[in-house]
Amino acid sequence: MPDNFAHTLALGVDVGSLTTKAVLLENDRVLFSSVLESSDTAELSARTAVAEVLAGSGLSAEDQVYIVTTGAGGKAVSFSRESKSITTCLARGIRYLFPSVRMAIDMGAESLTVIKINDRGRLSDWGNQDKCAAGTGVFLQQMAKLMQMPLEDMARLSFKAKSRAEVSSTCAVFAESEVISHIHRVPPTPKEDIVAGIYLSMVHRILTVCKRVGIEKDVAAVGGVARNSGLVSILQEEMGFEVLVPESPEETAALGAAILARESINKGAS
Amino acid sequence: MDAAGQINKIDALLRACRLMLRMSKGRPDARKSELLYYQMLSGYYNRLLKARENGDFIAAHTVFFPSEVMYSMDIVPMHLETTSWMTALFLGEYGDLLSAGGELGLAGEICSPHRGLAGAFAIEALPRPDVILWSNMVCDNTAKSGEMLMKLTGCPGYFLDHPFQGSQGEVDYLVEELSDMVAFLELHSGRKMDWERLSLCVERMDRQIDLLRQIAELRKAVPSPFHSQGFLELLTIDYLFAGHPEATEYLETLRDELAEAVGQGRGAVSQERFRLMTLFLPPMYLIGFLERISQEYGAVSVVEPFFCSWGEGRLDPGRPLESVARKSYMLPEMRMCGPLDDSAIGQIVDSAREYRIDGAIYYADIGCRHTCATIKLFKDVLDEMDVPVLTLDCDVVDPTVTTEEEIRAKLERFFELLDDR
Amino acid sequence: MTTGASRPQPAGLRALDRFRKVNETFPKTDEILEYKAQGKKVFGWLCTYAPEEIIHAAGALPIRITGYSHETDLEDGTAYFYHNNCSFSRSCLQLGLKGEYDFLDGVVGGSTCDGARRVFDLWHAYVGTPFHHVLTVPRKYTERAHRLYHDQVVQFQRHLEEFLGFCIADADLLRSVDLFNESRQLLRDLYEFRKLQDPPISGAETMEVLNASFHMPKELFNQWLAGLLDELSTSPRRYGGRARLMITGSITTNPEFLRSIEDAGGLIVTDELCNSTRYWSDPVLLDGYSTPLQSISRRYLNNFPCARMFPSDERFDRILALARDFRVDGVISQIIRYCVPYAHDLPLITEKLNEAGIPTLALDVEYGTSGSGQIHTRVQAFLEMLESRRQQWTPLDR
Repeated sequence: MPDNFAHTLALGVDVGSLTTKAVLLENDRVLFSSVLESSDTAELSARTAVAEVLAGSGLSAEDQVYIVTTGAGGKAVSFSRESKSITTCLARGIRYLFPSVRMAIDMGAESLTVIKINDRGRLSDWGNQDKCAAGTGVFLQQMAKLMQMPLEDMARLSFKAKSRAEVSSTCAVFAESEVISHIHRVPPTPKEDIVAGIYLSMVHRILTVCKRVGIEKDVAAVGGVARNSGLVSILQEEMGFEVLVPESPEETAALGAAILARESINKGAS
Repeated sequence: MDAAGQINKIDALLRACRLMLRMSKGRPDARKSELLYYQMLSGYYNRLLKARENGDFIAAHTVFFPSEVMYSMDIVPMHLETTSWMTALFLGEYGDLLSAGGELGLAGEICSPHRGLAGAFAIEALPRPDVILWSNMVCDNTAKSGEMLMKLTGCPGYFLDHPFQGSQGEVDYLVEELSDMVAFLELHSGRKMDWERLSLCVERMDRQIDLLRQIAELRKAVPSPFHSQGFLELLTIDYLFAGHPEATEYLETLRDELAEAVGQGRGAVSQERFRLMTLFLPPMYLIGFLERISQEYGAVSVVEPFFCSWGEGRLDPGRPLESVARKSYMLPEMRMCGPLDDSAIGQIVDSAREYRIDGAIYYADIGCRHTCATIKLFKDVLDEMDVPVLTLDCDVVDPTVTTEEEIRAKLERFFELLDDR
Repeated sequence: MTTGASRPQPAGLRALDRFRKVNETFPKTDEILEYKAQGKKVFGWLCTYAPEEIIHAAGALPIRITGYSHETDLEDGTAYFYHNNCSFSRSCLQLGLKGEYDFLDGVVGGSTCDGARRVFDLWHAYVGTPFHHVLTVPRKYTERAHRLYHDQVVQFQRHLEEFLGFCIADADLLRSVDLFNESRQLLRDLYEFRKLQDPPISGAETMEVLNASFHMPKELFNQWLAGLLDELSTSPRRYGGRARLMITGSITTNPEFLRSIEDAGGLIVTDELCNSTRYWSDPVLLDGYSTPLQSISRRYLNNFPCARMFPSDERFDRILALARDFRVDGVISQIIRYCVPYAHDLPLITEKLNEAGIPTLALDVEYGTSGSGQIHTRVQAFLEMLESRRQQWTPLDR
C-alpha cells in the first residue's frame, strides 16, 4: 500500500469478451490508452493491456498505479484494486468526455446498454438488450460475412442507399434469413439498400431500449460499434438530432474506470 | 413417489415444509412466527394429502379465491397457483410440468404457473380434486384456465365472475355469484354452508387485515425489522388461511416480534444499506438466493405496495357473503388488477415516501402481461421522486428464463448505482 | 378450380377502391376530418363490447381504434407496454402516442382482456383524451350478467350526456339501432355471396370492407356497401381455390395476410375475428317490452363471443356452425403472440374442429403481419393436405 498517493497514477481496464481496453490517467489527462484483442483469460488480457500501457507511457512496473477493472472479465483480475460495473464506468467516462450528455448508447461486441446520467454526472438508470445479438458488434460481423465485404466497406456503402430494405428487427436469426432473401432476390436488392436496412433494424432495437429508459438530450454513442459511421448516421436520422461520438469510443468504459481509480486515490490521499 | 407410483408433488411439498419446520426449530434465532408459518403450511399440505383417505371433498381454486367459503363448509382447498409456486420454491423443479403443459397445446406465452398447473394435472402430479373453482380476479390466465382443468380432471367446475370496478352494483353481482357458488358446492360436496362459521371467519379476517396493517406500519421503521422476502409469508397467510384462527395467531405473534425489534432498533439485516420497494413477485426458485443477497448487501425489501397495502374498510360479520365480496376488492393486489387510476399511482408515491426507499426493483415476469404493462408507468412516477428502478427480466417459476448469475450481476450494478448517488 | 399461380385478376370493384382509400388514410381520413370540421365529435372505441349506437345517437361518430395496418416497428408501444404484451395493444398505443388519434374527443372501452384494459390505462396516463370511459363487462351470459352490463351501459350513457351537455333521446337511439342493424344486414348479405361455390369476392377484398365498416360514418358506409352488393350481384367475377378456408383467431386487419393465403390457392370464404363476424354478427332486437338500452345491452353481451367469455362452448358452437354454413374445408387459426384468451381456447377448439372432420392449421403471428415466407410455406403444406383429403372423400361424405 503506497503511502504517498500523490504520485499514484490511475489506470482503468475494461476486460471485454473480444477486446481489452486500458486507459492511463495523469491527474485529469489521458496519458496513454490501448485496445488489444483479449486473451484466453481475463487475467492474461488485463496483464497484457497494463503492460502495453505502462510501456507506451514510459513507465515501469515499479511506478505506483491504482487499477480499477470493469467489463465481462473485470472481476477475474487478481491485481485489480477495485472492480466496478460497466455502467458506473460508462457514466464516468461519458461525463468526462461530454458533460452535456444525459443518455449514452454503448454498442459493444455482444451487448447493447443504454445508460442515463443525471445532472450531477451520476448513473441514474440503464437498459439492456443482451438476449439477442441484433444490436451488437457480433451481429454486424455476421452480416458482413453474409454481404461478403469488410465492415468498413459496408459503412461507406450505406451512404449510397436510395432506400432501406426491410430487415426484421425482432430477431437476429430472422434478420439473417431476410438478408439472404434480399441477396438472392430476382432482381437482387441493391447491396447499399440491404446494408442500410441492416443498420435500420439495429437502430430500431437500439431505440426500443432508449425509449424504455426515456430519451434525453444530449445523446452519445460509445463502444466499438460507434465507429460505424453508416450506423451512426441512420441512428441520428431516426432520432432527429445529432449523436455525439468520442474519438475513441471503445475506450469509454476503461476511461471511466480510470476516473474511478482517480477518485479512490484522491479519497486515500485526503 | 407415493404408493401408486406416481410423482406426487403434494407429498414432496409436505416433506419440504416439514424439513423447513425442522430446520427452523433447530435454529436459535428462528422466529416463533416462522415456526407457526411452517406448521400451518405442513398442516395444509398434510390435509390435502390425506383428503382422499379421510373422505374429504377437495376444491381446487385459483388465486384470491375466497377460500374462507370452503373453510366454512369443511371442504379441503387446493390453492392452484400457490401450489405451483411452492413446487418451484421448495422443490426447485418445474420443467416436467411445463413440458407437459406445452404438450397439451398451451402456448408458451401462457404464464408458467398456469401452463405448469395444466401440465401437473395432465401427468397426475397433483391429486385429482372434486371440483375446479376459478375466477378472473387477476388476469386472462386465471379466467381461462378452468375449462382445460375441468377437461383434464373430468371434474365439474364453477367460474366466479369478478367484476372489474367494485362499484356497489358490481359488489352485489359478486355476492350473487358467490351465493351460486355456495349452492354449487353444497350440491357437489353434500356439505352445507355453516353461516355461523363464515361469520366468525369474517370477524377474524377483519382482525387479520387490521394486524396486516399494523405489520405494514412497523416495517416503516429504520432499520426495517422484517426479513426481505418475508412479505411472501404474509401473502401465503392471506391466500391460504384467511379467516382461520391460526392465521390470527401467526399475525399477532409476528406483530409482537416486529414491535419488539423496532423497540430495540433491531433490523432484519445487520447493516441496512438499501431500503427497497418490490414491485410484483420475485422468482420463487430464487427466494433463498435473494435472502442471501439481502444479507450480503444490506438490501431489504421494506414495502411491496401491491402485496401488502390493504384498501380501506372494515368487514361486517353480520353480512358474511357481502364482506367476502368486499374483501376481494380491498386486497392489495386488486389495485393492479382493477383500473389503474390515481389511487394506484398514489399508493406508489405514498409508499416510497413513508418507507423512505432508496430504490425499487420491478420483477418483470415474462408471463405476466398486465403487470409488465405498468413498468414504465411506475418507473416514471418513481423517477419524478428521484428513486431509481431496476427492471429484472425473469419468470416467477421457470428457472430457464434467467439465472442466479444474471440476477446477481444486475443487482450488483444496481446497488453500485445506489451507492454512487 | 383455379390454382394460385394462374389466377386471373378479376375486374376491380369501384366501391372496393373507395373502402381501400379510407383504410389507407386511416386514422386521419377525409371523412373523419370533415366530421370534425363540422364541429361534431368523434369517439374511439376498442373491443366489440362498447355500445356504438349510444355514441351515434348522441350525434357523434364512433370509430374503432386499431393499430397500424401493417407490421411495423413498435418502439414506443413496446417501451410503454413492455415486450410481452400483444402487438395489437402496442400498435394501438403507439398510434395514440404519436398523435395519430389526436382528433378524438373521447375513448370508450370495456374491461375485456388484459391488453385492452392496459391500452386504456396507458392511454389515460400518456395520451389523454377529454372523455374516457371504461365499462365493466361480465364474462357470463346469465340474467344477472345482463342486468350488470345493462347498468354499465346506462352509466356510460349518463357519463356521455354529462360530457356533451345534453340528453340522448330514445328516439335517437332507435334511429341509430336501425342504422347499425342495416350495416349488420348488409354485411350478412355480403357474406352470403361468399357462401357460393365460386364467390365473386375474396377474403382479402372482404377485409377491406370490414376495416372500413368501423372507420367511417355508418350512413356513408351503408350506401357504399349497398352499391358494392349491387355490383357483385351482376358481376361475372369469380374466385376459385384449392380449398375453402375459414380464418379464426385474434384481430387481423391487414388484407395482405389474407391475400398471401389466397395467392397460395386457399379461398377464404369466412372468418371469425374481432373485426369480422364477431363484430357485426347479431342485430339489436327491439321488442315491445324493452327500452332501447335494454335491447342494445342484451345484443352486445350476447353477440358472437370473444374468447374472454364463459362458457367457451358458446364461441366454439358458433365457429362450428360457421364452418358448416360456409362449407369450409379447413380452418386457419392466426393468433397474435401474447394474445392469451385465444391461446387458451386454441387446443380446445382445435380438438372440436378435428372431431367434426375439419383440419386446422395454427399460425403464430404478429399484428399486421402480411404473411411472410414461413407462413406461406405452411399454408402451402396445409392446402396440399386438404387437397389430398378431398380426393379421398366424395362430397356426400361431408
